[in-house]
Amino acid sequence: MSMVPTTTIRRRALPWSVIIGLGLALVIIILALAAPVIAPYDPMRMASGPRLSAPGLTHLFGTDEFGRDLFSRVLHGGRLSLGIGLTAVLTGILAGGLIGLIAAFSGRVIQSVLLRLIDVLYSFPDTLIALALVAFLGPGIGNATLAIAISLIPFYARVTYGLAAAERAKPYIEAAQLAGIRSARLVRVHVMPNITQSLIVMGTLGFSSAILSAAGLSFLGLGVQPPSPEWGGILASGRNYITKAPWILLFPGLAICVTVLSFNLIGDSLRDLIDPRRKSPS
Amino acid sequence: MSESFLNVRNLSVTFPTASGTFAAVDDISFTLKRGEILALVGESGSGKSMTSLAIMRLLPDAARFHGTISIDGTAIAGLDRRHMEDVRGARIGMIFQEPMTSLNPVLKIGRQMTEGLIRHQRMPRHQARIAAIAALDDVGIPDPKSLLDQYPHHLSGGMRQRVMIAAALTLKPGVLIADEPTTALDVTVQAQVLDLLVDLKTRHGSGVLLITHDIGVVAETADRVAVMRGGRIVETGTVGDILTNPQHDYTKGLIASHLTVERAMRQRHAEGRRGRTS
Amino acid sequence: MLFLIAKRVLTAFVTVLTVIVLSGILIHVVPGDPVTAMMAQSVTATPEVMAEMRSQLGLDLPVWQQVVLYASHVLTGDLGTTIRGNEPVARLLFERLPNTFALAVSGLSVALLIGIPLGFLAAINRGRLADTAVMVIAVLGVSIPGFWLGLIMIQVFSLKLGWFPVAGSGYRNIVLPALTLGLTYCALVARMTRSALVDILAEDYIRTARARGLREHQVLFVHALKPALISIVTVVGLVFAYLMGGQVIVENVFSWNGIGRLAVQAMLERDYPMIQGFIVVFASSVVIVSMLIDILYGFLDPRMRQR
Repeated sequence: MSMVPTTTIRRRALPWSVIIGLGLALVIIILALAAPVIAPYDPMRMASGPRLSAPGLTHLFGTDEFGRDLFSRVLHGGRLSLGIGLTAVLTGILAGGLIGLIAAFSGRVIQSVLLRLIDVLYSFPDTLIALALVAFLGPGIGNATLAIAISLIPFYARVTYGLAAAERAKPYIEAAQLAGIRSARLVRVHVMPNITQSLIVMGTLGFSSAILSAAGLSFLGLGVQPPSPEWGGILASGRNYITKAPWILLFPGLAICVTVLSFNLIGDSLRDLIDPRRKSPS
Repeated sequence: MSESFLNVRNLSVTFPTASGTFAAVDDISFTLKRGEILALVGESGSGKSMTSLAIMRLLPDAARFHGTISIDGTAIAGLDRRHMEDVRGARIGMIFQEPMTSLNPVLKIGRQMTEGLIRHQRMPRHQARIAAIAALDDVGIPDPKSLLDQYPHHLSGGMRQRVMIAAALTLKPGVLIADEPTTALDVTVQAQVLDLLVDLKTRHGSGVLLITHDIGVVAETADRVAVMRGGRIVETGTVGDILTNPQHDYTKGLIASHLTVERAMRQRHAEGRRGRTS
Repeated sequence: MLFLIAKRVLTAFVTVLTVIVLSGILIHVVPGDPVTAMMAQSVTATPEVMAEMRSQLGLDLPVWQQVVLYASHVLTGDLGTTIRGNEPVARLLFERLPNTFALAVSGLSVALLIGIPLGFLAAINRGRLADTAVMVIAVLGVSIPGFWLGLIMIQVFSLKLGWFPVAGSGYRNIVLPALTLGLTYCALVARMTRSALVDILAEDYIRTARARGLREHQVLFVHALKPALISIVTVVGLVFAYLMGGQVIVENVFSWNGIGRLAVQAMLERDYPMIQGFIVVFASSVVIVSMLIDILYGFLDPRMRQR
């Protein structure tokens, strides 16, 4: 009936790593959504407290070189990171999914050209692709998000192609094609429902990779621009105060780690079932 | 010394499953004498292979076994890992049914032929190589010397199986377990391999536990037969008794389904029971 | 074997060519006019200067002509000149390439030296505590951003303990960035080693080796490790590619004088010829290294050597 991986996922009890990951992710999402309510200070307001003050009761995570409240900045940074991640992953899945489907259901020439191109891009890590794209597009949150989204396309295109090609090989598709049903309708009615669940699983993995890329780009000054409180950006400006105020480096970094970890925990346990790279390591 | 060489008493092998434990081998007992070929017969899933792995203590991690196993009077079922390593290869040799995958693809034949001798008999490498060449010669491999420097993928399935047998024989184990040694081979090679087993028992006086589903093979080589089904031994006896006068319905079925038995028996008589020690 | 090598070389060449063409096209997706973007901060940007730059970059030609022109230049070793300072891009990049390789290779060595034993440990203790511990470390490892780990290293080992210099490109300076890269990617290696070894330990020939009475350490270190190492070679190329992705950021954290640092500077200054050159050289390095590793694998595995 449906994909083998998804059915096995559903039948087995969830492993502990997925449960921890889901719990952490839930907390992070709630904190990010509620940031305006929870955050004690305006994340952009300078001199919310003394400059470079250590973590304490008034400033949970301390303050930065402009006296901005780090706790508020990290919370709002979560909104930025999750927002970039979500936008990039959704765009990447849509575009990559479309390319993958086209490759799976088109003629031999288009198919081999597309697959070759996907494979070329797939042989480079997505961070590198995002970096190269942002180099041309220019810095900024929009361009960074777009670059990260594009960097995820080869991955999703390949996953979708793998799933769709497997689906296409099943007898019912051939029967439907013989019965004169058009490819577009076939994809919509039969193929899509069978592969969306797997794509959602792959989405969580792309998400953690997108967040890492976003933080990295902002750290280099190519992503979200100051004074926006992006985690990578906070780290970049904080490195100048590494001796005087190491807490500026500690908390945003921990925030990245925990966020990435939670989505990795969810996606990782489920990936082994569907990662195309494992099937063909070349 | 007791005449029975390998003695298996009340052996069970169980696996835990979602619905309780499953007994792959269910309380079986048998003995194997020196200079005897005992065939353990049954279809796949009857527990024959699990029995042999239990004797070797090479069962999968999930499996549990109970019972006593002794070889030449030494109980081996309770031995610790290091002592069991001393028994394996040296006192009980084993050859497996998959010649294509049972040799390490990235190690030269020479290494795989000699490592047992070097390990068990502290033999120097050059001496072990000479012994390996002799053993390969024994199993009818042409130009054995050059074979030592080749990798398994250079060899055909029949050649590999002979290499496996030769490697097991270099250590002259008192008991050899042969798990479907001919299943993967074509008919001519099959006959050669079976001759080797018979030869081993007559020349070295080893006991051979031959595991097979093939009544034809049994008829051609074995002295005694134990028929397994569903983890139990349902019938034991000499080859002549079992084949001419099977008691159990299951055994009758096995024999009836094998039309070549008759012919093999006749052939054996014609050759003057070459397998027998006189 | 020769045929396989030729095929692999051809694939690598096609990949490099694709990258060159893509980076030739990419300059045209720049929103607005690249010259305006480049000259944004410049005070000497008179219309004449900009027009000259446009024709110098070939931007007045149709796109396909530009791409062909760019590709043919690149293939003859000409990567153009930088906008700032008007220096040859190729020279600047190749001057720094040894530094980048030194760091990448040291990082890769650290990743392999830590990752392989960890993966080995996990595989032979499959399902037990050591396995779980290693896999927890592995998932933590892939979740820590390299630049943050680098900053922590600087804080602890350079500033607090004073063991290593904070920045620079001497041999003592390579320790911390190499450790950072290595620790970031050892998780990947550990995971791949584990899965390779788990597969191998289930092979029939391992059972044969045990049936021969070999000591367990002989079974593990001879019969299992050798094929495992050969199959790990196949993924070293992949690890190297990932590592090069992290390399750019780590070079910047430690002010390591490699092409990653040069590139980020060019990106901030929007020095397009330099950016294109970086992409071509960096991507080619990744492609060529993984090609060489694949060919090496062909020689290591006796089953491949035959063909």
